[in-house]
Amino acid sequence: MAGVTRRFDGTQAVSNLDLEIPRGEIVGLVGPSGSGKTTTIRMITGSLSPTAGEVEVLGERPSAFRRRTRERIGYMPQLFSLYPELSARENVDFAAAIYGLVLWRRWRRRDKVLKLLDLWSARNRRASRLSGGMQRRLELAAALVHEPDLLILDEPTAGVDPLLRRTVWNELHRLRDSGVTALVTTQYVTEAEECDRVALLSEGRLLAFGTPDELRREALGGEVVEVTMQDIFDAANLHRSTGVLDVRQTGPKTFQLVVDNAATATPDAIQAMSEAGVEVAEVRTLRPSFEDVFSSLVERSRAQPVAASEDAAPTPRAA
Amino acid sequence: MGLAKLIVRVLAIVGKEVTEITRRPGAILSLILGPFLILAVFGLGYQGIKRDLATIVVVDPTSKLPTDVATYKDLNVRGLQVIDVMTDRAAAEARLRDDQADVVVVLPVDPIGTVETGKQAELTVIADVTDPVLANYTGFMAETLASAVNREIFRIGAEQGEQYAITISGRDLSSVPPEVIASPTKAVMQNLAPVEPTIVGFYGTAALALVLQHLAVTLIALSIVRERSSGALDRFRASPMRATELVAGKVLAFGLLGGGIAATSTWLLVSVLGVPMLGSPAVIALVIGLLLLASLGLGLLISVVSDSERQAVQLALLTLLASMFFSGFVLRIEEFQPVVQLAAYLLPVTHGIALLQEQMLNGTITHPWQLIALVGIAAILLTSSWTLLWRELRPG
Repeated sequence: MAGVTRRFDGTQAVSNLDLEIPRGEIVGLVGPSGSGKTTTIRMITGSLSPTAGEVEVLGERPSAFRRRTRERIGYMPQLFSLYPELSARENVDFAAAIYGLVLWRRWRRRDKVLKLLDLWSARNRRASRLSGGMQRRLELAAALVHEPDLLILDEPTAGVDPLLRRTVWNELHRLRDSGVTALVTTQYVTEAEECDRVALLSEGRLLAFGTPDELRREALGGEVVEVTMQDIFDAANLHRSTGVLDVRQTGPKTFQLVVDNAATATPDAIQAMSEAGVEVAEVRTLRPSFEDVFSSLVERSRAQPVAASEDAAPTPRAA
Repeated sequence: MGLAKLIVRVLAIVGKEVTEITRRPGAILSLILGPFLILAVFGLGYQGIKRDLATIVVVDPTSKLPTDVATYKDLNVRGLQVIDVMTDRAAAEARLRDDQADVVVVLPVDPIGTVETGKQAELTVIADVTDPVLANYTGFMAETLASAVNREIFRIGAEQGEQYAITISGRDLSSVPPEVIASPTKAVMQNLAPVEPTIVGFYGTAALALVLQHLAVTLIALSIVRERSSGALDRFRASPMRATELVAGKVLAFGLLGGGIAATSTWLLVSVLGVPMLGSPAVIALVIGLLLLASLGLGLLISVVSDSERQAVQLALLTLLASMFFSGFVLRIEEFQPVVQLAAYLLPVTHGIALLQEQMLNGTITHPWQLIALVGIAAILLTSSWTLLWRELRPG
C-alpha cells in the first residue's frame, strides 16, 4: 500500500498509509476501535477502493483481482457472517464450494479444518447453537478451508476467551510456518507480541511499523535497562557512558538507562558506576508491555505538529 | 411510582420505534406512500362499470331477418354492443374462442312460425367463460336481451294497432298460450367452455399464481437482504464468487423450491378440490416456470433496492396488495383505465393468472403473447437486478 487514503463522506478513515507485508509472515494491524483497521482490510480484499494511493496484493490491484488471485486469499470478516441455520460442516462446505473446491478435495479439506480447529464434535450442530468462541473458530475454518496463500483476518480473537485466543494464535503460527502470509487485525494491543510485524494504527494513521522489538525501541527510544543500587545514587552523569542514550531517575536508588544495545552498553555503565564507588544491587532489561508501547507512540504522535494538510501528514514508512 | 415507571418504559419504546422509523426514509416512503399510491391508482383507475360485452349476432341465411349491424344496435340493449352480424354460426363461435367477441347471439330461424306453434322463439346466447361471475353476468345480459327483443315486438305491435294482439300476418293467434304472447322470445344460455365455471376452479387457480409470485418475491428478497446485513455479501465480494453465479444460484434454488410447492399445490387443487386440469401438464409447468422466473426477478429487484429486511418485507407486501387489486384476481383488468391496465400487465402474476386459468380450465392459451410477456418481464427484471447486484459487489 502506498499513500493510501480512504474517505467516507468527508471523514478520513485511513490517511496516507504506506505498508508492505512480507511474504510468509504474520502482520498485525493493531489499534483501537475506529483506527482504520477494517477499512484497510477491506481495501486489501477489494471490497473498498482507496480514495487516493495504490494498493497491490499478490501482484494485482484488488479492484481488478482475477478469480485465481481471489482463490489465493482467505478472508474472515469481523462479524459472524456464516449461516445460522446451516450446521458447522455445511457452512465450511459452502465456503469451500465458493472457492471452487470440488467434491473429494472439498470434503477432505472440510473435515481437516473442522478437526484442526476443534470443531469436529460440533460438526453437525447448527451455527446458531454454537458458542461465540466456536463461531469465531468456524469463521476461521471457513477462511482456511481452501488453503489460501494470504489469510486476511479481521479481529479473529474479538470476544474470544483467552484460552481460545491462544489456540487461534498457535494455529496462525503453524500456518505461517507452512508458508502462509497472514494479515490480522486486533484491538488487543497485547496481541502484537504474537505477530512477526506490527502496524500500529490510530485515527486512520500508521504510527509505526516493524517487529515488536523494533516498535519497543521506537517507543522508548532504545532498549531500557533498569538498575537498582545499594545506596542513593544520582545517575545524571551516566549520560557520558558509551552507548547510553538517556537516563531516567525513577527513585532514590533506581533509574532506567535507555541504551542503543543493552548487551554492549550495560557492562560499560556498570563499570562507570563501580568507578564512582557505588555498588549495583540489580540490573535487568525492561520489556515494557505493548500497551505502554502503544500509549507512548500515540502520545508521541499527538505531540507532533500536524501538517497543514492531513494528506501531507508524515507517517512512518513500512519496513 | 410503579405506574410512573411503567409509563416511562412504554414511552421509551414508543420513542425508540418512532425514531427508528423516521430515520429510514425508504421505510416511510413504502409505509405511507406505497399503500396510498396503490389506493390512488385503484381509485382513479377503476371505472366501476362493466365494459359492454362485444356481441356478434348470427342470423340464419334462410331467415328474412336484417343482417346490418345498425338494426341490432337500435335495439339498444344496455351492456351489449353489437360489433358484427354474421350468417355463419361456426365462424362466429371461432371468433368467440379467439377472444374477438364476448358473446354470440344466435337469432331464431323463424321466430314468427315458432310463436304461431305456441312456443317461445329461442335466442341462443353463447359465451366462452370459465369465470363464474362473468358467466352469471352473461346470463343476466341474455335475459336482458330477450326482454329487449320482446319489448321491440310489442312496440311494433302497438304501432300496428290492437289487431296485433290476436293476429300476426293475418293469422289467428288465439290458440297461442298467454305466456308466449307475453314473452314471444326467451334467451337460452350456452357456454363453450369445456367445464362448468366454479368459484373453486376459477379463484383457486388464480390464488395459486398469486401465492407463487408472493412466495418467490419474498423468499429471494429476504435471502439477499439477510446476507447483506449479516456481512455475507462482504465475504462474497472478497471471494471469487460473481454476481452472475450468485443470481443463478438463488434463482435456481428458489425456482426449484417454488416449482415443488407449485406441483404440490396443483396436485391438491386437482385431486382434493376437484379443479379440472384440461391443459397439458408441460404447458402448465412452462407457465408456472415463467411466472416463478419473473417473480424471482421482481424479488431480486426488491432485495437490491431495500436497505433493510423490514423494507424488503414492506415492498413484498405492497407488491402483493397491488397484485390483488390489479392482476385480475378479484376485478377484471378490462374494468380499469387503459393506463392502469398497462401497469397491471407489468406484474408477472397478471399473466400467470390468465395463462393458468386458461390452461387449467379451458385447455388452451388464447393469448400466447402473455407467455412472451412473462419471458420479457423476467429478462428485464433479472438483468436490471443483476446489474445492480454486480455494482454492489464491486469495490465501493
